[in-house]
Amino acid sequence: MIKGVVTILWKDLLVEWRSRERLGPMVVFVFLIILVFNFSFALGGSALHEIGAGVLWSAFVFAGLIGLNHTFAAELDNNCLDALMLAPVSHSSLYLAKMLGNLLFLLVVELLSLPFFSLFFNLSPGLYLVPLVAVLTLGAACLASVGTLFAAMSSNSRLREFLLPLLVLPMIYPALIWAVKATAIVFEHSRPSATGALATAAFWPGSLTEPVSFLLVYSIVFTTLALMLFDQVLED
Amino acid sequence: MTTGTVHLEQATKRYGALAAVNSVDLEIEAGALLLMAGSNGAGKSTLLRLLAGLIRPTQGRVLVNGQPPHSSLESRAEIGLLSHKTLLYDTLTARENLLFYGRLYGLENRRETAEAALANVGMSARADTPVGTLSRGMKQRLALARATLHRPGLLLLDEPFEGLDRRASQALSQRLTDLRARGETTVVVVTHRVDEVVDLVDRVAVLERGRLCCDSAWRGGGLEELQALCDSHQEGV
Repeated sequence: MIKGVVTILWKDLLVEWRSRERLGPMVVFVFLIILVFNFSFALGGSALHEIGAGVLWSAFVFAGLIGLNHTFAAELDNNCLDALMLAPVSHSSLYLAKMLGNLLFLLVVELLSLPFFSLFFNLSPGLYLVPLVAVLTLGAACLASVGTLFAAMSSNSRLREFLLPLLVLPMIYPALIWAVKATAIVFEHSRPSATGALATAAFWPGSLTEPVSFLLVYSIVFTTLALMLFDQVLED
Repeated sequence: MTTGTVHLEQATKRYGALAAVNSVDLEIEAGALLLMAGSNGAGKSTLLRLLAGLIRPTQGRVLVNGQPPHSSLESRAEIGLLSHKTLLYDTLTARENLLFYGRLYGLENRRETAEAALANVGMSARADTPVGTLSRGMKQRLALARATLHRPGLLLLDEPFEGLDRRASQALSQRLTDLRARGETTVVVVTHRVDEVVDLVDRVAVLERGRLCCDSAWRGGGLEELQALCDSHQEGV
């Protein structure tokens, strides 16, 4: 199974490297959303704490939808999906490869857009940001697990670009709430204390455990569900 | 295990109220070449998709090498599919496409196998060309190399001559002749261009409205006779 996952994932990365159809638009879209929000709300120095987490996740989710729409694009061009389904690898391998590909693209987008976000929302660098890696990874995993399944469902529809957000957004909503909450908790630690120094709270704030646990459980549950349903989705 | 044997028992595939394939019983022995004929919408492509394991029968059984292809990886490893769509990635080169499928099928000596497959279809010189820039005929030759890369026991051909000019069609027919000569592969071909396969066929099955209405051995003969046999059972003829 692992061999199948790695083979399909490697092929997807090679196709993306050649076509650059996914990553470029996703990154540009995130930059634009951050810019628009930055200039729409004149919150000055408090913008990070007031709307920062929400802006960041709105940008990631909408950019993620662009990427998810392309999940099966290469497979549909010449009916390559038939060749993958016919190959002696389990259909679960196909789901996992696509899901991991989407996760990877989301993580790259997050990585590239964070410096840009820091610039516009005055996010100071520091060790307190380390837990953000876990939050961003798990949030992206939630979006990738749900999104990949629905991308497969909508891939044969002429209205897939319209259909996918309609299917994904309601399902991802609970995870999104917790991802925003967790990100806001991390950002809270960038607030200067009364003495002017950055907060030196515990490396992992206690209040972060609950939202991060929820994101972990959500991504595991939906990945498992998707693995169970994917065979049926492919056939339909 | 005998490779390339096909067994259909009351195989039915329904889409809602429509039975695209209806209670088909069919036995294909290893090494045979079966021409599947029928008018448009008769269920030929659906039957091929059932044989390939791309869809499951609603009722009945479909077995390739004694196992259901939809759920058996061993059975799927024995199947090759060539259709009018190439099943190739346009942005990858010819060689990269074959290496990818070689990896997917777990082939040993992938590089050598891919190079040999490219040479067999006369594509060695274009091995590093992205597939999207190749002509239709070249793509179809490469598609045949992909479909036969893992030396399948059962080769399914769905309108393989569609969109090909005379020369490319003849080249494809020649490749099928070579495959038949080796006798290792059972071939099921769906095509309206019976002239391209008239010398290769040894059995003809005709589908109409999802039902198998003719299944007879073809002892050789002219194109007109074969065409007449294919047409005789079709609706409105």
